[in-house]
Amino acid sequence: MLSVKGVSRSFGGVYAVREVSLDIAEGEVRGVIGPNGAGKSTLFSLITGHLAADGGAISLGSERIERLPAHRRARLGVSIAFQGARVFRGMTVRENVMVGAHGRTRAGFAAAALRLPRHRRDEREIARRADEALERVGLTEWAGREAGLLPLGQQRSMQVARALCAGPRLLLLDEPASGLRAAEREALATLIEELRAGGLTIMLVEHDVAFVTRLADRITVLNLGEVITEGTPAEVRADPLVVSAYLGAAS
Amino acid sequence: MTSPPTGEDAGPRPHGPGGPPAAARDLPHDPPGGARVTPPSTPQDAPAPGPARRAARLLPGLVVGAVTLALPAVLDDSALTVYIFLGLAAMVTVGVSLLMGYAGQVSLGQGAFYAVGGYTAGILAVRGGPPIAGLLAAPVVAAAFAVVVGVPLLRLRGHHLAFATLAMQLIVLSLAGRLAITGGDIGLQAIPPFGWGSFELTGAVGYAYLTWGGVALVMLVTRNVIVSRPGRALRALATSETAAASSGVPVGRYKLVVFALSAAFAGLAGGIYAYYTGYVAPSSFPVLLSIEYIVMAVVGGLGTVWGAVVGAAAITLLVQALNLIGTAPGMPSYAPSVLSYAVYAVVLITVVLFLPRGLFPAAVARLRRAPRP
Repeated sequence: MLSVKGVSRSFGGVYAVREVSLDIAEGEVRGVIGPNGAGKSTLFSLITGHLAADGGAISLGSERIERLPAHRRARLGVSIAFQGARVFRGMTVRENVMVGAHGRTRAGFAAAALRLPRHRRDEREIARRADEALERVGLTEWAGREAGLLPLGQQRSMQVARALCAGPRLLLLDEPASGLRAAEREALATLIEELRAGGLTIMLVEHDVAFVTRLADRITVLNLGEVITEGTPAEVRADPLVVSAYLGAAS
Repeated sequence: MTSPPTGEDAGPRPHGPGGPPAAARDLPHDPPGGARVTPPSTPQDAPAPGPARRAARLLPGLVVGAVTLALPAVLDDSALTVYIFLGLAAMVTVGVSLLMGYAGQVSLGQGAFYAVGGYTAGILAVRGGPPIAGLLAAPVVAAAFAVVVGVPLLRLRGHHLAFATLAMQLIVLSLAGRLAITGGDIGLQAIPPFGWGSFELTGAVGYAYLTWGGVALVMLVTRNVIVSRPGRALRALATSETAAASSGVPVGRYKLVVFALSAAFAGLAGGIYAYYTGYVAPSSFPVLLSIEYIVMAVVGGLGTVWGAVVGAAAITLLVQALNLIGTAPGMPSYAPSVLSYAVYAVVLITVVLFLPRGLFPAAVARLRRAPRP
């Protein structure tokens, strides 16, 4: 469903991602782990289009996307909940989530200014999607609040809701559990399981190996920008390369 | 855990559902799924307003509308002139507020679009074009011009964008001073008044209504845009272009459209200006004008539609008072302009220090805080 072939990206001669290839099946939850600086977030940026690849190919379904700008990839169904809390300030939680539906609707400036029927139709559609997404992550009661004032855990959930509001084919979660408390982590894990049960394809970058191992069908391990191994959680855990990369053992 | 950003440090800050109650900061950090604590309800969260509340909300707008309509009938001629210039400034400032306050883009060259609108209407009028065509062409040409210059300019951000737009205005003024079609430094004179068929708009009262009709139009358009899909996208890209793009917002194109829209508002004001004064020249559109619009928008409250009008009114009236002082007997000839610059600086610094959200939001917050019966 997502196919990454030989993708590289360097900054000032240093490879952040080097010749990375991976294939993700429809409905799969793929964990991506690796030590700090392994290139996990760079790989996500290459898939979402916020960074251009130096070389290689990325396809979503049958479509090549590596040359498309980020907003076009979003429209094709690539959604991301960023690392940290990226909140649109001065907007309510509900408005933040509504932005997620931008690519699924079309009413533009003229339709909005003149209050054309298309505007009304799209606003209804956006509101429906946003309320559904808010309900899904349990933020309904917070909908009317200024998003910037939310506690971190809720800001995270809000980002996931924004990504879901787009009705994605591929959902990228960049360290969604970091900084969350145990109960919030549990709620997030439950949500990811529900989404998988609904058939959504998910890529999950996470530091917490136990969290990934529990949720992922397969895991890709990156180190220094390269894929060092890939397999089921059990296979990956048993791989001596992974152990040495994590422990920083000199080979 | 780092405390969530409170918005006060967020620079341009679109108006949300009023100031957040203090309680919002102290909410327990509870899980989305687990034992959920219902957030305490606040006035903002109250269920749909009843007819009485809705009427109470509409009332201030209706009063302002009625006063706006009544003023031309009671003002004398010199006061009417101020009233018209106030309206023209408000029209431009609403655009500045949209561009800076909502979409987070700076323009120090809004006076250039005002000039383009003025010259467009002026050139068409002195060549015998129908006035209505000139009035429609003014915003359209200004917007088209904004698109052309915006493609390279909007790749810049922050201070770079500010200086580039300032340079653009200087270039526009310099070109207008040299080209034959714009009348060079002398400008276009004896522009026939606005009219419709055989009807000619000559009295200041007519222009006052035309101007304030334009203000109402740009306010309505801005409000409609802001609370809908494209408006949310603009407000989103003001904080994070990356996150907006990942939601499917074509960031570059949206910045261009909002730039053009703000230019159209300025162009419309410029068009009315040309018909009203009957004269446009490079000296009609000094750089000081562009700075004035920014000061008006910031003083009134960036990212509020009404704040733009409040800011335009406050600064216009202040400048009028200064002119009275600056042109008093015994004052040097440069006194008015020196006074204006000094006062812009003082007012801007005072507002940024003491009312960072601007006059209008501060006043609204104060009214809301007043004890309820």
